[in-house]
Amino acid sequence: MDPSSSTSTTTSTSANTGAGTDKLLVEQHVAYIQKLGENKDDLTYHLTAHLRLNAVYWGFTALSILGRPDALDREEMIGFVMNCWDEEAGAFGAHPGHDAHLLSTLSAIQILVMQDAMERVDVERVVNFILSLQHPSGTFTGDRFGEQDTRFLYCAVNALSLLGRLDALDEGVLGEGVLGEEGVVDEEGVVDGEEEEKGKGRGEGREKGREKGKGKEKVVEYLQRCRNYDGGFGRKVGAESHSAQVFVCVAALAILDRLDVVDVDTLAFWLAERQLPNGGLNGRPEKLEDVCYSFWVLSALSILNKLSWIDEDKLTGFILSAQNAESGGIADRPGDMVDVFHTHFGIAGLSILGYPGLVDLDPVYCMPAHVIERRGLRKGWKALERRVG
Amino acid sequence: MSALKTHPKVYWIWNHRMWCLEHIPEGPGQDAETIFGWKQKAWDRELFVVEKMLDADPRNFLAWDYRRYVLASMPVPRPESAELVYTSRKIGANFSNFSAWHQRSKTLASLWGQGKLNEEKSREQEFELLRNAMYTDPNDQSVWMYHRWLVGTDGSKELLNREIAAIQELLDEQPDSKWCLESIVHYKRLLLKNWVSGAEAGPLISDVKSLLHRLEQLDPARRRRYRDLAHELDDDGTRSKQ
Repeated sequence: MDPSSSTSTTTSTSANTGAGTDKLLVEQHVAYIQKLGENKDDLTYHLTAHLRLNAVYWGFTALSILGRPDALDREEMIGFVMNCWDEEAGAFGAHPGHDAHLLSTLSAIQILVMQDAMERVDVERVVNFILSLQHPSGTFTGDRFGEQDTRFLYCAVNALSLLGRLDALDEGVLGEGVLGEEGVVDEEGVVDGEEEEKGKGRGEGREKGREKGKGKEKVVEYLQRCRNYDGGFGRKVGAESHSAQVFVCVAALAILDRLDVVDVDTLAFWLAERQLPNGGLNGRPEKLEDVCYSFWVLSALSILNKLSWIDEDKLTGFILSAQNAESGGIADRPGDMVDVFHTHFGIAGLSILGYPGLVDLDPVYCMPAHVIERRGLRKGWKALERRVG
Repeated sequence: MSALKTHPKVYWIWNHRMWCLEHIPEGPGQDAETIFGWKQKAWDRELFVVEKMLDADPRNFLAWDYRRYVLASMPVPRPESAELVYTSRKIGANFSNFSAWHQRSKTLASLWGQGKLNEEKSREQEFELLRNAMYTDPNDQSVWMYHRWLVGTDGSKELLNREIAAIQELLDEQPDSKWCLESIVHYKRLLLKNWVSGAEAGPLISDVKSLLHRLEQLDPARRRRYRDLAHELDDDGTRSKQ
């Protein structure tokens, strides 16, 4: 690939529909991901620094699902992850020098688990960091300044599970020193009427801590309160259902072995209705399709064992049509610019759909299935049978 | 503010506004009213700003979440019933705005729960509003999802029959309306689950099965869901005979 083609992915919207996109372009995608780290002079590289570690996770997982985990240098990757360690907080930031955050901490752990390099991590410090971000209501914030979001709850549950420390939620040990005066906001919608905690600002509430032995139960209770009548889940209590939040909530419940909380038929109906006539999936009623929902909707359907409720051929066709045959990579929809986020979630979706030649993806952890099986963490999800190419 | 206009979906910009809002100093006056008024003005302005954002992008869920937070945290809370006015304005501007329907369902549930609104009367008003919306665009799923919420899972036999008849009327006009068929199937399954059994169930079951068969043809992407629902009816039928 010549250097100019990688710039074209960030500056132009060259048409990427048409010939050559009815098959997964494995070699082009591998080359596209390999190129990502190279153009450090590119402005986009610096503008996305706050997502760097996540981007490494997306790129590496995509390569692993493509069967090419060695396409990026192992030592360099582990070195970068360890450079993102925030010694003060005891967890990982998104980029060397950045403050620790739950999103980047999960990405770091996922990468290190996939690279079989967990001996590099101070597990107990990370566990303490994660626990320090749990709010008395059960949910989590992403960092010490952040707001509550069920995405962070999933990050916490997933990371603790990968660390083999899910039980720490019930140990009643409050993390030390991560939260200062600025504690955790209580910001639940009053319209829900369930919990009146009005007038409570930041800093309050933390001292209540987690009740001993109740951490997991609190998480499940909170998720229950985020469930809407359409079967879906939102970012927090009172919020509208959204496919991405459905994935994080359902996957967290799967890890906690509490899928009994889900109204399977209603939710699977809602998820199946995300498919639009062009085969793509949207995130909410009356919205546009986007390749990333291929993973979020599919993972939830796969965990609920209802993948057959959508049309897999039409969705496969839609994801493939969003590939860029020239530069490699997958876009949110045909004709748009590609990026590593959509490349990863497109390939992840294709794996769940049984696309030939791909490695099985675990929809709960969004990592290669064999990695999760080796750690004894596999749950009862079902993907479509892998087709022969 | 300019950051928010350019990047309305960046989480931390919203979060930073929240921080600023919570750290507004007390007003320059001495008496409680001045101090309070100063703070309240800032929160009022914030509500105005977020509603402007929702005018520009009516489905931005970060803005909706933020708006719920502002409403819940204002020094002088607004009456919740004001939300009914706001959501009906949003819905009136576009029936497809499911975010507004969602907010409306939360508001009504809260008002009914607290006994601040006559539930029976207000439910009927909602059915009226829906009737209008259904006829405007029978393919809009936001409207049908809200209808499903309004009927609930424990609606009376009379209510279910009345709504089935009303939807049937629309279906007669629009024989290929997937959402009419889907909804009739849903409410007839509720009848079977809660109200109808024995000899009366037989004709209803075959009716639902033929509707499911039509749905399979009209909406092939989800054909296996319709088949699963039909099989479930078979299983239930076998069980009740045993």
